[in-house]
Amino acid sequence: MGSALTDLWNQIKEWLRDRKERLDLFDETKVELQGNPLYLLGPMFYLFWLIVVISGLLLMIWYEPTTTGAYFSIVRIQEEIPFGWLIRGLHKYGADALIIVITIRIYRMYFAGEYKKPGELSWMIAFIGLILGMISGITGYLLIWNQRAFWAAKTVLTVPVYFDELPIIGATRFGSMIAFVFLGGPAVGQGAITRFYAIHFGISVVGLILVEIFFQRTRRKRLNMSLFSLALFTVVLSLISWKLPAEMGRLANPDKTPLPIWSDWYFLALYQFVKYTPPLWAGLGPQLLIVYGLIVPFLDRSKGRRPLERPFFTVIGLMALIYFLVFTALIMFNIAIIGRDPPIILLLTIVVMIAGIMWELSYRRSQVQAAQQAPAPAPRPRPSPAQGH
Amino acid sequence: MMGLDRRTFLKLAAAVPALGAIAAFASPLLRFLKPNLEPYERKDFILNDTPHGEPVVAARLSELKEPWSYKYFVFVQKYPQYTPEGFKAANVPGVIIRLPRKVRLPWEWAGTKDKESDLIAFSRICPHLGCIFNFVPDWKEITAGYGGYMPPDFRKHALIGCPCHLSIYDPADPGEPGRVISGPAPRPPRSFVYEVKGDDIVITRVEAGGIA
Repeated sequence: MGSALTDLWNQIKEWLRDRKERLDLFDETKVELQGNPLYLLGPMFYLFWLIVVISGLLLMIWYEPTTTGAYFSIVRIQEEIPFGWLIRGLHKYGADALIIVITIRIYRMYFAGEYKKPGELSWMIAFIGLILGMISGITGYLLIWNQRAFWAAKTVLTVPVYFDELPIIGATRFGSMIAFVFLGGPAVGQGAITRFYAIHFGISVVGLILVEIFFQRTRRKRLNMSLFSLALFTVVLSLISWKLPAEMGRLANPDKTPLPIWSDWYFLALYQFVKYTPPLWAGLGPQLLIVYGLIVPFLDRSKGRRPLERPFFTVIGLMALIYFLVFTALIMFNIAIIGRDPPIILLLTIVVMIAGIMWELSYRRSQVQAAQQAPAPAPRPRPSPAQGH
Repeated sequence: MMGLDRRTFLKLAAAVPALGAIAAFASPLLRFLKPNLEPYERKDFILNDTPHGEPVVAARLSELKEPWSYKYFVFVQKYPQYTPEGFKAANVPGVIIRLPRKVRLPWEWAGTKDKESDLIAFSRICPHLGCIFNFVPDWKEITAGYGGYMPPDFRKHALIGCPCHLSIYDPADPGEPGRVISGPAPRPPRSFVYEVKGDDIVITRVEAGGIA
């Protein structure tokens, strides 16, 4: 039994070594595919991250992390400090661009089957990157201390409190503990602003150090992008910051909930989901999605990489994309009929998933039949990831 | 298959107590993250955060004579916290309502059973995700602005609605005042305990829970 354990341990080590050798964080091993702009997303990810970190460090010079001073220090940055609007614009729009780029890249990796061997670890890191990016986003926009930020922090951190309803874990009051540790107490106040500031800063800095170690070890080029693209993206971000100054919103008022209550755009779909579900499931649902994202390389045992060669996983991916877009649209137009919508959506989900399974089964059956009719097929050339789309 | 070889066995035998020791020494360090005062007194993360509120006059009896008359007020809670003052004050907005009939007050949490009254005070912090809900005197506004809920005939009166996630509550439900009649909320709003002193309605305590 001991040697079986050792074997398993060795296998895991072997697996990790193999995947680490072919680890790809910013598409730096796929430079030759950059004729397709979807493979420029990796270097864009790195570029926007650098822009956000540098502009963030500059903002720290003027920002004041207190409940009374935060909002007005940012007004000052925006309106009085020379080029404050540019630094803040680059930080805000750079962060938005970062989230967009990571999200599209995740979908590219998903539909092109890039998470399959040997890309499992690269996929998992990209996925964790998206989650950390979103956490960095929500901790970052509380720092403005406006209405949207305050209520987003409050609702988001009330969600884990419902984990206290779970069996076993609930008895330890683990859920309330999560909220307390993030907020620094049972209310959104000075404790929350200080802790969010630390988390917001820490995620990017620790991440960037790890990435730097990776580049040092692999001796790969950091930014695989032409000077023209680099200049183009920076200029576009600056232009947006100039023409469309980053919004301030109203100063946070703990006694008045804004109507409608909004968040940063990438959380809007989740807000609609929260309206539809009991609060415990509103917390568990996104976690299931995260778990699915992390283990999908091990769930999907299909051979092909093209979307049509693995119908079930393609259907799941499309459904996630469509729900994200539809829920975002619904909350933006403030459409929600609580008594009518949830059963329809649940039914639709079940029907689509069953259809996906049926499609997968019939596809596999046709594969088996084709194999029987032609006993010795010529081996098909393995499609390159670029053809997946 | 051979059993454990000597080297693996020794490694395992050494690793288990070493990891245990690290965990034992490291776990109290989690207290560093703990936000409230008196860090060594209890292991429980939440318990000694019990807040203390200042009694406040919510309304005068003479203001709330008519059925469905109501008044908003703010109750200040003080939570122990590492701040220069040693506490953090958080506002708990509330609403006090004159109901058209008597209901049994939901004061079991305060040790009061079977007290009936037609005056009831709720914390306006929605028990769902902590938004501030509204007392809506006209139920038609609920149907128009809070997710299209159409109350049955016996609930066609003033209701409570939360703008964030569209939970609707009935403050005058005879069985359970503040019953959730639509939306994702898991329970009725938290209640205040009040005392009537002369013409004043004095709020003394609020049910604990949630994020203020």
